[in-house]
Amino acid sequence: MGTVADKPHLALRARRGGPGRPVRSAQSRRASRTGALLVSPAVALVVVFVLFPLGYAVYISLTNWPLLGPYHFVGLANYKQLLHDSGFKHSVVFTLTYTAIVTPPIFIVGYGLAALLRANRFGSKVFRTIFFLPFVVGLSTVSFMFEIELQPNSGGVDFLLSKLGIVSDSHAWTVNQTSALIAISVIVVWFASGLTMLILTGGMQSIPQELYEAADVDGASWWAKEWRITLPMLRRSIALALIISIIGSFLAFNQFYILAQNNVGLETVVEWIYQTAFTRFQVGYATAMAICLVVVIALITSAQFLLLRDDTEL
Amino acid sequence: MTEVATYYEDVAAPPMPVARHGRGAGFWAYLCVALSLAVVFVLPIIWAILRSFQPARLSSLAPQSGDFTHMTLANYRAVSHGLYDVLPNLVNSVIVGLGTALLTTVVATLAGYGLAKFRFRGSGLVFGVILLALMIPFQAVLTPLYLELSDLHLTNNLIGLILVYTTFNLPFGVFVMRNTFQQVPQELVESARVDGAGFMFTLMRVMRPLIVPGLATAAMYAFLYAWTELLQAVTFVQSPDKLTLPARLYEVTTSTYGSINNAYLSAGVVLAMVPCVLLYFALQRYYVQGMMSGAVKG
Repeated sequence: MGTVADKPHLALRARRGGPGRPVRSAQSRRASRTGALLVSPAVALVVVFVLFPLGYAVYISLTNWPLLGPYHFVGLANYKQLLHDSGFKHSVVFTLTYTAIVTPPIFIVGYGLAALLRANRFGSKVFRTIFFLPFVVGLSTVSFMFEIELQPNSGGVDFLLSKLGIVSDSHAWTVNQTSALIAISVIVVWFASGLTMLILTGGMQSIPQELYEAADVDGASWWAKEWRITLPMLRRSIALALIISIIGSFLAFNQFYILAQNNVGLETVVEWIYQTAFTRFQVGYATAMAICLVVVIALITSAQFLLLRDDTEL
Repeated sequence: MTEVATYYEDVAAPPMPVARHGRGAGFWAYLCVALSLAVVFVLPIIWAILRSFQPARLSSLAPQSGDFTHMTLANYRAVSHGLYDVLPNLVNSVIVGLGTALLTTVVATLAGYGLAKFRFRGSGLVFGVILLALMIPFQAVLTPLYLELSDLHLTNNLIGLILVYTTFNLPFGVFVMRNTFQQVPQELVESARVDGAGFMFTLMRVMRPLIVPGLATAAMYAFLYAWTELLQAVTFVQSPDKLTLPARLYEVTTSTYGSINNAYLSAGVVLAMVPCVLLYFALQRYYVQGMMSGAVKG
C-alpha cells in the first residue's frame, strides 16, 4: 500500500512544515473553493433528481393531474379520497403483512449464516461469497428464474417437492393467492438473507475476541455467550440489518410484478401507485399516495438514525 | 463455540494435538452444514443455467432424468434474432450498467474526496442533502420524476436512465468514498499539497492505491443496481428497442398470449445473470469486504 513511508521526500517536507504558514489563509480559501467544487456534481444531481421532484410531488398531489391533458388544483381532495379507497388500503395492509412475514426469517437465516461463518474457518470466505450470490443476481432476474420453475407440471419446484414427498400433485403456485405469497416469501428469504449475513458479519468481526475468551475462562455456554456478548455488541448492526430489510420489503415491487402478474389482491403499495399513475392515468391521486409513502419511509429512516446515533463517525 | 478458541491456537501451533482436536467433530459438522447450505444457495442458479440449454419441447414438460442429455443452443438462437431478439436490450443494459457505474464512481469519488479532505462552509449541509436522497426512495418520486424527465426529453432515453440511476446510487457511493478518503492519512495529503501537487494529481497518483477497494465497491454496487432495476426501467422507457434487459424480459413474458415461453425466458435469464455473477466473482474480494464495513457504518 502506498503510504507516506513510500514517499520519504513528501514526509520530510511535511515535517519541516514552515514555508506554508504565511500563505495559510489564501491556501485555506483555495481549499475551501476546491472542496465546494468537488461536491458540486453530486449536489446538482441530488437537487435535480431528488429535491426538485419531491417539491413537484407535493404540488402534483394537490391537483387532479391526468397523464395527458389539462389539470386543476383540487386542494386536499386526493388525500381525503385516500382515506376511503379500499384498494389502496388493501395494498397497504397486504404490504405490511408481507413485511411481517418475511422480516423474521430473513433475519434468523442471515444471523445463522453469519454465526456459522464467524470463526473464519477453512472455506468461510468461499461460503460467504456463495450465500451472497442470490442478492448479486438481483431480484428481477431471480423472479424470472422462478417464474419458469413455479409453473405447474414443468416447473422445478413441483418436481423437487414431489420427489421429497411434500406435495403429491402439480401446483399452479402463482395463481392461488396463498401459495403465491408463500412461494414469493421463500424466494425472498433465499434472496435477501445473504445481505443480512454480511451486515451482521461486519458487526461480529468488530467484537473484541477477548470477551469470548474471558467468557470461556468462566465456563460460559454457547447460548450464554450469544445472549450476553454477541447480541448486545451487535445492537447497531442488528438495527441496520432489520431496517434495510423492512424498508426493502415495504417497497417491494419486482417479485410481485413478475410472479403475481395476474393475481388480483397481491398488489404492493408501490405496485398500486405505479398502476394508479400509469395504467389508470390518475397521476395526481397516485402522487398523493407516494407522499404518504415518503412520510412512512422517512419515519422508519429516522428511527434508524435514532437507534444508530451513539456514534461519533458522522 | 469452544472451537473458536481452539481454532486460533490451531493456527498458532499446527502440529500440536490440540490442532487435530480442533479439526475434529465440530469442524466436520460445520463443513457439512455449510456445504448443504451452499447447495441450497447455488443449485437454483446452476439449474437455471442447465435449463437454458434444454430443447424447447422438453422445457414445457415435467423434468425427467434424461433432460440434460440433449443440450442445445437453440434457445440462445431464439433470443438473438426475430420476434424475441433481446440482444439490443442486452446492449442497452451494458450501456446503462457501465454508464451508471462510471458516472456514480466519478461523482461519488469527487464528493467523497471533497467531504473528507477539504474544510468548507456548508459541508455538513451538503452531506445532509446527499443523505436525504437515502431517505427518499425513488419509488416515492416516480410520478414527478417521470413528468420531469419527459419535459427534459429524457424519457425513452438511456442517458435519462443513467442520470437517475446515478443519483439514487450516490448516497451509498458518497458514503463509501468519504469513509475511504477518511482512512487516507492526512499527512499524505498535506505533504503532497506542500510539494505543490494539485488536488487532481494528489487524487490520481498519490491516493489511488488506497482508494481502489472503495472504488470497486461503489462501482460494483452501482452496476448491479442499474443492471437489475425494473420499476424505473419500465416507467421511463417505452419503446421495445430502448428497454433494458429485465424490462424487455418482462415484456416477453406478458406478450406471449398468456402462456410463458420457458425456452426464451430461460435463455434470457442466463444472459441477465452471467455478467453480474462474473463481475461479482472478479471483484468479490473488495465488494464483500466493502459491503461488510461500508454498510455497517451507513
